[in-house]
This record gives sequence, structure tokens and C-alpha cells, in this order.
Amino acid sequence: MTTLWDTTGTAVVQALAAERRSGGAVTSGLALTLVVVLEEKDTASVEAAVATAAAKHPMRVIMVLRHHIDAPVPRLDAEVSIGGRHGPGEAVVLRMFGRLALHAESVTLPLLAPDAPVVAWWYSETPTVIAHDPLGVFADRRITNVIRDADPAESLRQRAIDYAPGDTDLTWTVITPWRAALAAAFDTATAPAKSVVVRGNPNDPSAQLLAGWLTSRLDFTVPVEKAEGKYIVGVEITFADDRTVQMTNEGYKLLMRRPGQVDTIQPFPQRTTGDMLAEELRRLDADQPYGEALGAVTGLTGLNERSPVRTHIWHDPALAQQEA
Amino acid sequence: MSVAEGQSPAISTGDGPPVSAAARANPLRDARDRRLPRVPEPCALVVFGVTGDLARKKLLPAIYDLANRGLLPADFVLLGFARRDWEDGDFESLAKKAAKEHARTNWNDEVWDRLAGDVKFVPGSFDDDDAFDTLASTLDELRQSHGIKGNAAFYLSIPPSMFPVVLKQMERTKMADNASSGGWRRVVVEKPFGHDLPSAQQLNDLVDSVFTADDVFRIDHYLGKETVQNLMALRFANQLFEPVWNANYVDSVQITMAEDVGIGGRAGFYDVTGAARDVLQNHLLQLLALTAMEEPVEFTADAIRTEKLKVLRAIRLPVDLGSYAVRGQYQQGWLAGERVPAYTDEKDVPAESRTETYAAVRLGIDTRRWAGVPFYLRTGKRLPRRVTEIAVLFKKAPHLPFSHTDTEELGHNQLVIRVQPDEGVTLKFGSKVPGSMMEVRDVSMDFLYGEAFTESSPEAYERLILDVMLGDATLFPRNEEVEASWRVIDPLEEFWTGQQPAAYRAGEWGPKAADEMLARDGRTWRRP
Repeated sequence: MTTLWDTTGTAVVQALAAERRSGGAVTSGLALTLVVVLEEKDTASVEAAVATAAAKHPMRVIMVLRHHIDAPVPRLDAEVSIGGRHGPGEAVVLRMFGRLALHAESVTLPLLAPDAPVVAWWYSETPTVIAHDPLGVFADRRITNVIRDADPAESLRQRAIDYAPGDTDLTWTVITPWRAALAAAFDTATAPAKSVVVRGNPNDPSAQLLAGWLTSRLDFTVPVEKAEGKYIVGVEITFADDRTVQMTNEGYKLLMRRPGQVDTIQPFPQRTTGDMLAEELRRLDADQPYGEALGAVTGLTGLNERSPVRTHIWHDPALAQQEA
Repeated sequence: MSVAEGQSPAISTGDGPPVSAAARANPLRDARDRRLPRVPEPCALVVFGVTGDLARKKLLPAIYDLANRGLLPADFVLLGFARRDWEDGDFESLAKKAAKEHARTNWNDEVWDRLAGDVKFVPGSFDDDDAFDTLASTLDELRQSHGIKGNAAFYLSIPPSMFPVVLKQMERTKMADNASSGGWRRVVVEKPFGHDLPSAQQLNDLVDSVFTADDVFRIDHYLGKETVQNLMALRFANQLFEPVWNANYVDSVQITMAEDVGIGGRAGFYDVTGAARDVLQNHLLQLLALTAMEEPVEFTADAIRTEKLKVLRAIRLPVDLGSYAVRGQYQQGWLAGERVPAYTDEKDVPAESRTETYAAVRLGIDTRRWAGVPFYLRTGKRLPRRVTEIAVLFKKAPHLPFSHTDTEELGHNQLVIRVQPDEGVTLKFGSKVPGSMMEVRDVSMDFLYGEAFTESSPEAYERLILDVMLGDATLFPRNEEVEASWRVIDPLEEFWTGQQPAAYRAGEWGPKAADEMLARDGRTWRRP
């Protein structure tokens, strides 16, 4: 591990090359570069998640922490490591102070693995408009995490307004087991579905996305009905032949109840952020079902027809504050 | 030939059964939605010989791993059948112990608890009519109580000598009948698929007559390995390799499967089988077929198996078997710092045994693509390390503008597909040695699979059991392939009968004769 204080981007590139040389043949073949935007307090959670995901996807991780935009003198501190607490891949931690934070791409661009896809992940506080953040503009895939925002439901709406193919949100990843279970329940159906209800917290973005996904796949609207619980509590399906399926989340177990049959219990394993990040990194192209689900949640259409390319819009928070 | 023929390509699932109407119309399934796992239809997995080694070490752990990864259907039953005086609970605790000990994924009691409710046991011996009647009625009851819809896969984890009696029982109770069960009924058989062509044909006829040929899944666990499947992606998804994948550019191909272990406790089986029947006939010839086959017209079980079969039928044995078919038997020696006994000193092996523990052979493939390219296959026990790989050695450049001394260290360009361990691909090519002199030397460029980067990729059995339940026969050899393989092995065995195998010391790369075999062609074995 190399630690550089008050350094430059060039020195970081050299340190990474030196680290690769001295470390021996530690990495062979990088599949992607992951750029994580985080805050100091999230470091431990992000490091754990990245280490898990790096075990499944050989990648270079660039962690960007932006501090004190109003600091008088810009400054860059960096840490370069291969293997270790960031998992088996290459990792660069960049701490940027002052106005440099607005030009983060000047440091990260030369550090991207050549010709490999770039994934940007905002661990918390998604930018309202991704095009404002240059780190989001050159990324092929963008992962947000609205659940960590102050108003997740509003944040999810904003994700639809700002959507471009290639965006996904971890609240969508969270519901993959639910979606798999529902698809399996429909596999055994003998008639088309008549009505479906998602029960849970109507303000939970995951519940909204699940209902949105079902709405986008079925030819009727699936509502979220309020039930006691923070997230998704259950789903109830009624088929045209009046058969019903009740699925309830019983704390890491999914109980499926069908009249006339033994109740089945499926594991609903608790997945860490790292597991979900790894699932996200499995696909580096646009996730159309997510776009459709997001469209159904917000009533916006044509989300997947938008251009996947964003153009950087200069946005200076200091100026914005002055104007306000 | 197959049921898939004549169906429209849109719904063709290869050799699998047609997708049921409800599943096809499932509005929640979307080809673009690659996050959703392939989950089989509701079904039962019936395991015969569930107390055996294979079931305990591979099968039961694989089922747990599938459950843990959420890949088992919600309606699933594991049904054990064996001659034990057991209740469901006894079997469940054995299965739990086995799964806990050998599972690949983390142990999670919740997952097991869910599975435990779906674990059933039927006691009985294979010649006991009552037991099979109980089994059949149990399956019928489970159809209602557990919603398994008459779907069942039977896993025959039993010696082949027991096959006839078990299959006859299934026929009698109509358990193997798709129509009367109202779902699909499949059977999974493990190697050995016979011990020569007539016995394989007999076995195939028997299994195929009780089940239909398309419902028979022959497990060759090597084909479940991630790298083997990737071989097809490497060859057919890339533009780079296929143009040089022929006799114009390829000098020779070496396929190696080496094991460092001895025969373990399998003396009874191994001494009548030997390395050629145990490994060469199935694993190595399947790897050869995948390496040498033409591009399948589509990526379906049927198309792939057709191409593999063509290659297997085009295999030509060397005329001079004495020079190009070598077999060996290990003597005592040192391996990995430990002294190991000779084969003939292993427990339960007759002292005068002539069974081979090493076999190497040069095969040719009579097609335009491969004419004149030798395929060297070798397998052995008590070799220095456990490794399986396919090495494609390219011809040397026809003209080298460098002086002879500059390229002294330059060998053949090689593309090596490492099947195990370190699953991945290596490309070996010449590169200049840094310095003021022009010196070219071999270097290798490595690729390790992302999945396998540090974490083990799905164990082959998991993948194969899942495929059986999904009805995807892509990774399972068909009866004709097995028979074509025996047509290659039978003349070899005939030639070797009565001969004393060449001796090699445990811990070295096979007998001298194998090295001489390549030296005769001006080549050497690659050290894997």
C-alpha cells in the first residue's frame, strides 16, 4: 500500500503502476473500473461492499471522497493498494479538497482501466441531476442508492425524471428475490392473473418499484396497499380461475400460501450491499425492465428510448448557493 | 431423431420437453430480464443409492447449494430410496450432515430447515415390489400435497449392475412414463456407461426403452465446469480464434487430465476398469469433441450434440498402436513429500494386476479441418499435480526474419484452456527480452475467470442437476456419443489385452514410453 499526501494525479498513476510491478502478477484481466462516490463516514461500509464485489468481478476500484469545497487551497491525498481490505483487485482512494472536488474527473480519467467499462456508484446522496457530476458522465453504468437519501420516494421520482439507459438503483436490486419468487409463482399458474396487490409501506421505493414492475408486465395497475412494516410485507395474487397465492415476508423467509396445498417456505437470504453491488456488476448494459418499472411508478413513458449518453452540465454549488 | 425437429425454432428447447403453456405465457418472464434466475418447474428428485459416497459428497451438498442460491422451485421434494430401516427424519439428519460437511456455499440453518420439510425417505431394496409400489404412491401423494405436478427426476447413484432391476421396477410401476404421470419423468445416470461397446449398447437400450431417449441424462461432470462451457464461447463468440482453429495453423493438440491421488478405496471398480475406460472414454473424448467440433447451427442441445457426434465418429486410431498407444502403471515413489505405494500394493489390488493407471494415445480426426493434426490425449493417477487442460499448439512461423540464435528460446504459440484448477485461458507467445540484444522468448498471458477470480464457480454437479430439472440437455452426452466413444476405446483395449503396462514412478509425468511417443513425432509433452 502506498499513501500519498498533497499529491497530483500523475503521481497516483505512477504509484499504481509501481504497486502493480512490485506486487507481482496479482491481477490479470480487469473487467471494469468502479468509481465510488462516498463520504468519510461511509468508508467502512463501502470498503466491505467493494471487497465482496471485487471477489466476483476483477476490477479496479476508485473511491472518491470530496471534502470542503470551500477550502481555500485545493489538495489531493491518495492511497493506492492491491489486494488487502478492498478485496483482491486494485484500489485507489482519492480524497479531494477545495475546488478540485468540482474537477474530480481530472484525477480519475487517467486512472480508468483501458477500454474497460466504467461503473459509477453513489453510495449515498445521489446527485439530483447526474449530468452535474462529471464522474457520472463518463460512466457506462450508473448505480444510485435512493434509500439513503432524505426522501427516498421523491428521490426515486427524480431518478425517473433524470433517467438514462444504464442507470439502476439498488432499491431495484433489493427486490430481485421477490421478482424471482413471483415469476416462479406465475410459472405454476393455470390461468392469467386477475389482480395483484403489493402490501407494505407505500413510501418505500422498493415496494413502489415492485408494484411498478408488475404493472409494466401485467395489463392492469398493481397498487401498493399500506400494511404494517417498513418495506414490502407481502404480495397477493388472484388468478382468473379464482386460485389465490399469498406471499409473505417472514424475516428472511418467504412464506407462500395456496389454498389446498402445503405452505412452502423459501429462503430469503439477507444480502449485503456487497452482494447487491456484485449483482449490479453482472450486467454492464442498460436494464430495460428497470426502466419500464420506473416508468410505471412515475407515469413517465419512453424512458428506455432516451439517449444513454449524458453531456456534462457545469454546476457550481458555491454559485448556486450565492444565487439562492 | 429428436422431438425438437419440426418444432418452430422460437419454442425449441433442444432436447427438453416443450415448455408448458402456462410457463410460456408467463408475463413476468422477459428475455431481457437477466437478473431472474432459471428456476425449474415444481418437481421431485428421487435418489437411488442415497447412502452412497457420491450422494453424500456431491449430490446432497449440491442440492443444498442450489437451495441456498434460491435456484430450487418452491415446490420441490427430495426423495431418498435405500435399504435402510429409516424414517424421514433419519434420512434428513444424514442429508443435513452430508450437506453441511461438503456444501460449497455458506451454511444457513434457515435454508436447510426449509429443505428439511421437503425431504422424504422410502425404505426398501431394489427387488422389493412393495417398496416400489410405496415409492410410486408416495410420488402420487406428493403431487397433491407438495404441488410437484407429476414431475420427477430419478438419479441412479447405484452400480450399473443394479440398473436392470431398478429400471424394470420403474417400468412395472409406470413411474417412468411421462403420459401416465402427467408431467415429465427423467433419469440421470452416472458413468460408467458400460465397459465396452456391446455393454454400452445394452445399457442404452435398456434405459432408453424404459424412459424415452430424450429423458435420459448421462452425467459427465467435466461438462458442467464453467471453463468447458466457456470453450464454446471462446471459439464461437470471438473472431480471433476460429480462423486459426484448423490444420493450417494448428500443429497439434494435447489434452491432459492428471490426478495426484491414487485409486483410493475404489480398487474393486478400478482394477477391472483402468484409466482408459475410466477417463479416456468419457471425459477426454468429450473434451476433444468440444475442442474439435464444427460450429453448431444454434446453441441448443440438439445442434451441439450433433456436431460432437460428428467429431467422435471421425476419430481415427493410429495404425501403429504399439508406438502411439501407451499405458502405464505407477510404482512406489514420492509424491508431494510423502511416500506412496505402488498400484499393485494398494489395498485389494491383486499383486499381478495389469490394469493401467496411465494411458496416452495419439488420435487423428478425419475431417478437412483437422486432417494431419495429431490429438495427444493422456490421463493418469499419481502424477505430480491435479490438472486438466486442453493445449492447442500452433505451428511455428513459416519464416523468421531473426537469426537462429535470436529465436532459440521460442517455442510453439499455445492457447491453453485450463479446465481445473485455476479455470481460465493462457496464451503463450514470443516476446523480446528487454535489452540491447534481439532475443525472443516465450511469455504467457493469463486470463482467470471473473467468477473464479477468488470464489469457486458453481460446482459442476449443481449446474448439472439444475439442468436436469430444467430439461436442458446441452451438457449431457447422448447415447450415440457414448457408443461412438466406445468404438474408439474398444480397439485400444483389445490391443492392450495381455500386455504388461509400462512402469512409471509415482510422482513423475508418466512412463518413458509416453515421452518417446511424442519424441517420435518431434514433439514433447507440455508440462501442465
